[in-house]
Amino acid sequence: MSGTVDQIGSDRLVSRVPSGPIAQKWDKHKFEMKLVSPTNKRKYTIIVVGTGLAGASAAASLAELGYNVHAVTIHDSPRRAHSIAAQGGINAAKNYQNDGDSIYRLFYDTVKGGDFRSREANVYRLAQSSTAIIDHCVAQGVPFAREYGGTLANRTFGGVQVSRTFYARGQTGQQLLLGAYGSLMRQVGIGRVTMHARREVLDVVTVDGVCRGVIMRNMTTGAIESLAGHAVMMCTGGYGNAYYLSTNAKGCNVTAAWRAYKRGAFFANPCYTQIHPTCIPVTGDYQSKLTLMSESLRNDGRVWVPKTKGDNRPPNEIPESDRDYYLERKYPAFGNMVPRDVASRNAKQRCDEGQGVGTSGKAVYLDFADAIKRLGAKTIEEKYGNLFHMYAKITAEDPYKVPMRIYPAIHYTMGGLWVDYNLQSTLPGLFVLGEANFSDHGANRLGASALMQGLADGYFVAPYTVGDHLATSKLAAVGTDHPAFREAAGQAEAKTKQLLGIKGRRSPDSFHRELGHIMWDNCGMSRNAAGLEKAIGKIRELRSEFWENVRVLGQGDELNQSLEYAGRVGDFLEFGELLAADALQRNESCGGHYREEYQEEGEAVRDDDHFCHVAAWEYKGDNSAPARHQEPLTFDEVHLTKRSYRE
Amino acid sequence: MSGVRQALLSNWFIRALSTSVGQKLVMGATGLLLCGFLTVHLAGNLLLFQGAEHYNKYAHKLHENELLPVAEAGLLVLFVLHIILAFSTTRMNTGARPIGYREKQSKLVGGLEIRPHNYMFLTGVIVLGFLLLHLSDMRLAEWKMRLPYDESMTPADHALMVLRDPISATVYILGSLVLGFHLLHGFQSAFKSLGLNHPKYTPFITKLGVLFAIVIGVGFAWLPIWFFLLKK
Amino acid sequence: MSAKLDLTLKIWRQDGPKDRGQFKTYQLKGISTEMSFLEMLDILNEQLIHLGEEPVAFDHDCREGICGTCSLMINGQAHGPDHKTTTCQLHMRKFHNHDTIVIEPWRATAFPILRDLVVDRSAFDRIVSAGGFVSVNVGNAPDGNSVPVPKVNADKALDAAVCIGCGACVASCKNASALLFVGAKVSQYALLPQGQAERAQRVQKMVAQMDKEGFGSCTNTSECEAACPAGISVVNIAQLNREFLRATITATT
Repeated sequence: MSGTVDQIGSDRLVSRVPSGPIAQKWDKHKFEMKLVSPTNKRKYTIIVVGTGLAGASAAASLAELGYNVHAVTIHDSPRRAHSIAAQGGINAAKNYQNDGDSIYRLFYDTVKGGDFRSREANVYRLAQSSTAIIDHCVAQGVPFAREYGGTLANRTFGGVQVSRTFYARGQTGQQLLLGAYGSLMRQVGIGRVTMHARREVLDVVTVDGVCRGVIMRNMTTGAIESLAGHAVMMCTGGYGNAYYLSTNAKGCNVTAAWRAYKRGAFFANPCYTQIHPTCIPVTGDYQSKLTLMSESLRNDGRVWVPKTKGDNRPPNEIPESDRDYYLERKYPAFGNMVPRDVASRNAKQRCDEGQGVGTSGKAVYLDFADAIKRLGAKTIEEKYGNLFHMYAKITAEDPYKVPMRIYPAIHYTMGGLWVDYNLQSTLPGLFVLGEANFSDHGANRLGASALMQGLADGYFVAPYTVGDHLATSKLAAVGTDHPAFREAAGQAEAKTKQLLGIKGRRSPDSFHRELGHIMWDNCGMSRNAAGLEKAIGKIRELRSEFWENVRVLGQGDELNQSLEYAGRVGDFLEFGELLAADALQRNESCGGHYREEYQEEGEAVRDDDHFCHVAAWEYKGDNSAPARHQEPLTFDEVHLTKRSYRE
Repeated sequence: MSGVRQALLSNWFIRALSTSVGQKLVMGATGLLLCGFLTVHLAGNLLLFQGAEHYNKYAHKLHENELLPVAEAGLLVLFVLHIILAFSTTRMNTGARPIGYREKQSKLVGGLEIRPHNYMFLTGVIVLGFLLLHLSDMRLAEWKMRLPYDESMTPADHALMVLRDPISATVYILGSLVLGFHLLHGFQSAFKSLGLNHPKYTPFITKLGVLFAIVIGVGFAWLPIWFFLLKK
Repeated sequence: MSAKLDLTLKIWRQDGPKDRGQFKTYQLKGISTEMSFLEMLDILNEQLIHLGEEPVAFDHDCREGICGTCSLMINGQAHGPDHKTTTCQLHMRKFHNHDTIVIEPWRATAFPILRDLVVDRSAFDRIVSAGGFVSVNVGNAPDGNSVPVPKVNADKALDAAVCIGCGACVASCKNASALLFVGAKVSQYALLPQGQAERAQRVQKMVAQMDKEGFGSCTNTSECEAACPAGISVVNIAQLNREFLRATITATT
């Protein structure tokens, strides 16, 4: 594989980053973009796929501006998107704590936290938008945590030394999403947004090289339906479920993004996957998903393992002198609050050394005994009550009395469809927002930044930039009767028939689990060339078996969850190979991408001379290798340095 | 018909009262006012234990009051509203789940094994039957539908005749106890339907509701128990 | 720690909205007590696929108790026997060897069955669409700290706002009333300064839509609170009633 990849320069990847000082780029760009006049907006139709934070906020904002909006979700209700599960909080450079925070510091922390693999101008705009997000969410009636004086409260997250995270107990994502959902449903009531629930987007449709609509399957009736418009916004989240076990919801999938890739949208940095350090460990092979315990817990919890291998005394009987608080020991400046990639890798290293705890030996302790002693159980309950409750439900252990056992798990994916500064993909008219784009997080995302990015894209970026696209493109009137729509619908229908016609012996789930094992073992927390090459071979084998041996029962014209699932697994089986190929090509360690060949005493070593770029993959057909394009990254503000959290 | 409905619904008051929440508000309000009536009624009845004289004096005083017809009309409105709304909301509720569960278990912790709130309509209908018999015995006694009422009877004689009638006594005892059971939930529920819920006062109201239900149920039942069963 | 269970499942099977539907009985062996309830159903479905029978359709997504997608009436209890727990967070350790478990869909006129255990809860969306929001466009917001919100009110508003919209309140209510769901939303905004401008019309519109959807009325049984996986209190129902009364008296229309 490695020898066959075309390495292509950046001619296809025009980032459209405006010139000028970083602090003025966005304002300047907003002024330079063409506008659509208020009376003309209603003549344009925009299709928003996905109703998580990015999708719901974009759909609501576009409708508020006066566009006609179609919102599509695979869920029974737009409120169910997995943004709802985000626990800890949302960052904003408000400096309410008077602790030296600023837009520039949030920008700096995010670029550094992303291990210098993000686009500076995008990150700066994200930091600029952060403050307006908080204001808007408060105005929507989001019940953020408050101080006794009635002002907004903050807490700290990993990788930073200020308190800038706004939160609503351990369910910040839920509250922000419900805020956006409320705004969206208001527009549905007014009639500006048409809601298409229980619809799965199976393809995007291009006419004259511009994305003009989507093909979707009505998951209740099985009918293949088409939507035509003037622009499409893909807000479909990440691809963590390629690993089968992840903190993602069961329905999270790469299908819509992957089909857009096959229509000409480049896929950027798929190997940047975030492994979250604090998840509840796997208990058995029946396990269907992993549950996250918010990073915010590391504010008060201390991570440790026994100093000696195989010490299987109960945690409370291990004296202080026999405990290794390894994060505090190795990273005295940040302690337990190091970024996620660092915390995850260290947990794995401890367990690989034989210091892991629990029956599987694949867990470390997250201990609240000191915090409870210092603050009292009541305060801890107020801060993390729902998380402790969830932990107790799953494990039948009381975290107020015994330390939590945690282990890293796939959580977030920094990679995604490539977008320019306008959030437009290489397929004109297709905008990509939130986790679905390759985003502003580089190779590692800092805690509480995903909610910020989803809402920044949806409320404050895409509504402006889509106007420029509409005002500057010549878009002929196109309806769903256009041949391109009929052709794409026919292909979607054929794929459904193909899946139903295989009548093999293995369930979609068994293929998905096997893919997950391949991905986690070879392309998980640490990767090497030999393992990645092996993975690519195995994925290909599994994929060909899938198309000969998958068993999908039932019919196409009915509610058929097996059929939905099989389609998604089929796409993961293609996508997984691209992920592994990207990891194989990136001969360096950065952020969540850790190659064993490139390290120094377990710390990631970047290769800025050869890999200070975005890798964006172009689809070249099912039987050809994809082409790897490069968008060079320049760092004018935050100078490329070795990322250190030791001092 | 729909035109009439439209016209009615254009009135803010009727529109509010036609909603499920509005109907329950009125249910609660009429229920609580009826509770007030029950209290006064029981206090009057208990005078029978003090002796016929006291009871007769109270009855005459009451009947001499010129505003009695107004009060009676008000009472009739309360009863009729409460009953109509009971039928209306019950119809709404059965329509909301035409096909029930094969199995249904409560997730409530504690409380009675047989929960009064599950039998409000049934207990209400039983109380209505009791009420109709009671009206024919007392308020409409002159029609002599069943009992040999005589205009020369003092109010106490009349009451004792009714209380000593086997059918009336049996129905009164059972009816009163069922009424108490109805109030066990009804009293505190009415406060909630009226939007009155407060961490400081609600626990007190709930306890008061239980006490009230017992006093009313046992209090009214005690009359026939005493005069029919014990002092025959 | 972990034990194995043999179970008999009686599950409602219904091919589509118009099918009559019926219960079917299945046997499962060797279910680990560490499994979640939905993982147990996953295993059943794998077995059914192996046998060539169509798997049981059920709604689920996040499997961590927050998205509100999962449902199920388990032995007559919404989300099963555990308290403050969704079906996806219910674990098999709550059951015993040789138990028979009856699994039914939510039943309510407003929640029509789509297939097997999957119901349509879009009625909730339409209720929110009628008024469950603050009408504020992007760009209009003052600074987040410009209006102080007493901590106690913010906390109470959040207590109401944590509703996950699963519909257990409706499913467990003998009247299939949605008042806990609606009450939670109405209370959240009534408690916050941002919700004041639309306070009266919000409750009126949401109640009107709720009635239109065919939900029942509230008998204050508190079954909804007992079944609610998010711990929403019936205090919110009383608050809604109060808001409704207030709106009826004070609103100009």
